[in-house]
Amino acid sequence: MPKRWQVALFLGVLMGFTGLFIFSNGAVGAAKQTLTAVYSKTAPAGLDDPAWGKVKALEVPFEGKEKFAGKKAAVSAKAVYTDSEIVFWFNWKDPTLSVTKEAWKFDGQNWARQKGDEDRISLLFEINRIQNFATKGCAVVCHVPAGAPNAKEGKFGTATEAEKGDLWHWKAARSDPAGYADDGYLTKIGDTKGGRKPDAGKGGDKPNITDDKTKPKYMLAPGKKLGKHNILLAADAVEISDYTIFKAGDVITYRMPVAAEGSFGDIKAVSRYGDGAWTVMLSRKLNTGNEDDVAFDPRKKYNFAMALFDDSKDYDSYDSEVLSLEFKK
Amino acid sequence: MSEVQVHAAGQRPSAAAAGEGCGRLLRVRVPAEAICWHRFFGALQLALIGLLFLTGVLMALAYTPVPGTAYDSVDYFQFSLPFGDVVRGVHHYAWNLLLVVMGLHLLRALVVGAYKAPRQPVWVSGVLFLLVIPLFIITGDLLPWDQKGYWSTQVRFSIIASVPLVGDFLVQLLRGGPLTGIVALTRCYVLHILLLPGVLLLLIGLHMYFLATRGLSGPPAGEAAARPQVPFLPTIANRWLAVFLASAIGLGLAARLWTAPLGDPADPTDSSFIPRPEWWVLALNQLVAIFKGPFMVIGSAIIPGALIFLLAALPFLDRSPERRPSKRRGVLLGAAVVLAAWAVLSVMGYVEHFVQPEP
Repeated sequence: MPKRWQVALFLGVLMGFTGLFIFSNGAVGAAKQTLTAVYSKTAPAGLDDPAWGKVKALEVPFEGKEKFAGKKAAVSAKAVYTDSEIVFWFNWKDPTLSVTKEAWKFDGQNWARQKGDEDRISLLFEINRIQNFATKGCAVVCHVPAGAPNAKEGKFGTATEAEKGDLWHWKAARSDPAGYADDGYLTKIGDTKGGRKPDAGKGGDKPNITDDKTKPKYMLAPGKKLGKHNILLAADAVEISDYTIFKAGDVITYRMPVAAEGSFGDIKAVSRYGDGAWTVMLSRKLNTGNEDDVAFDPRKKYNFAMALFDDSKDYDSYDSEVLSLEFKK
Repeated sequence: MSEVQVHAAGQRPSAAAAGEGCGRLLRVRVPAEAICWHRFFGALQLALIGLLFLTGVLMALAYTPVPGTAYDSVDYFQFSLPFGDVVRGVHHYAWNLLLVVMGLHLLRALVVGAYKAPRQPVWVSGVLFLLVIPLFIITGDLLPWDQKGYWSTQVRFSIIASVPLVGDFLVQLLRGGPLTGIVALTRCYVLHILLLPGVLLLLIGLHMYFLATRGLSGPPAGEAAARPQVPFLPTIANRWLAVFLASAIGLGLAARLWTAPLGDPADPTDSSFIPRPEWWVLALNQLVAIFKGPFMVIGSAIIPGALIFLLAALPFLDRSPERRPSKRRGVLLGAAVVLAAWAVLSVMGYVEHFVQPEP
């Protein structure tokens, strides 16, 4: 081989290989907490199902926001899936059981709504990709920095119609006594309204208040029993005809849980409060077939984020970093 | 045969030429061992390239080279279209396997001395594959527009930019602007689906041509007896088809069982993402880690470049006609030392990036 060809070959190969190296610095990924949903033929029947004992819990740290700023919380999370269903299990410490949600209290003369909110946990998944949710989580939809297209004081939502989230919202006082978690979705924030919408169907809660807003309108119907934590369900309520039957210290639910129907009631809930901690189990079909729900495909990974509310309103929460949900058979 | 005669026979000139070409192809006979149970890496390599082309074309039908939308289109293809996971999975596993097979193919040729005269061009054209195939992987890496592809591309751009004199120009050429966005994605896409396939087809053609003209290497001990010959069509073609089908089925099953990874969508504002080297560049990455600062060029270009040069120049350095491994201990010992060093560096890289906890 002529010398010049040898030199040319050397330079060509050297440049080529340099290029090869330059371009070859691959990446595998940064650390992100992953909740692994473990396959099971049958879904766990309840909070104490032995199946949960076989699933490793993920300890998820939470950072306090607004009035909880500087505080921390933690949730143990587990997940199991079957051929048709996904079930989550959450456990977190909470020294106080909060289910008041402004319940009415009678002092012998007047009715007044008590101070006090409720405990909650919420999960947000992507139905359609939300810009940067995979890396920033709730920071791009809930706690949005000023100047963002979806930054509206006191409201949250996505920046465009194309971005859509699935919001699971378990409420100790307003949904859990009826056996479900509110199923909502998050879409583009409006000029006047937030982007948080309820799924199609019925559910939520019904205010128990008279037209003059001075007292409760409903009480427990004869023959019915109060729900969990002595909460009055809308289905078991009857209009009060005689207010003289009440004595001082009587309490009546202000926000009565309504039995859920349709897509709104897709997420079934079971819970227990004991030993200063909540244990909550949420279950849903992998694919509900509803456009307002994320359809879980066990081949994929999903990003989600969680928020805890300790007797507090929307912005006073503990938030997790964005997490990854994967399925393992 | 004149044009009049062809027309008289009821055929057009082109048809006659094609018929003659087919006839010649039917008469081609090649050594029976061209593709056999103990010699199939080349055939497997060609089958994998074929699968990569096929699956790549199918994926291109659904792909949108626009940041953000690119991710959605890949996600949609993989998880919403029928067999999308299989097609993308085959593409993913095929390139990984191709790197392994390419290495084994080269190693076999080195051990049996297949690079020796008169097959030097076959060897050199084969070594050139080592430069082109990784470029496919690298340009393809950015296409799904996920975190892994985006940030590894950023790292590559920053390394290119550090090259004196031409670095910034090359980055500008590839990226087309100050940020890695739609222009960079489009350029990688064009390189991946148009320019590099062209180069690869040219290389395959050259390799085949040299193989046909210089012949297939025989036993290292020499040609004691005439080698059995078989017709290229249909015997060898059928064997290759069997290799192709077996790899398609095997990779298809793997793709169905182990879904090809698709990371989080790229977030250019998330500088916390930590790029880690893939398995095939662990050794190279480790070389750079050893030679730091102004000496980085030794690990990043001089040593790897010299190795590739030595590999390509091997037929011209080792001119002896002797092909028996037992008589070529020097060459094989050198190759073993390089391979061992490569393995050690890879293990070191693996431990550093995958076993030790993140700081």
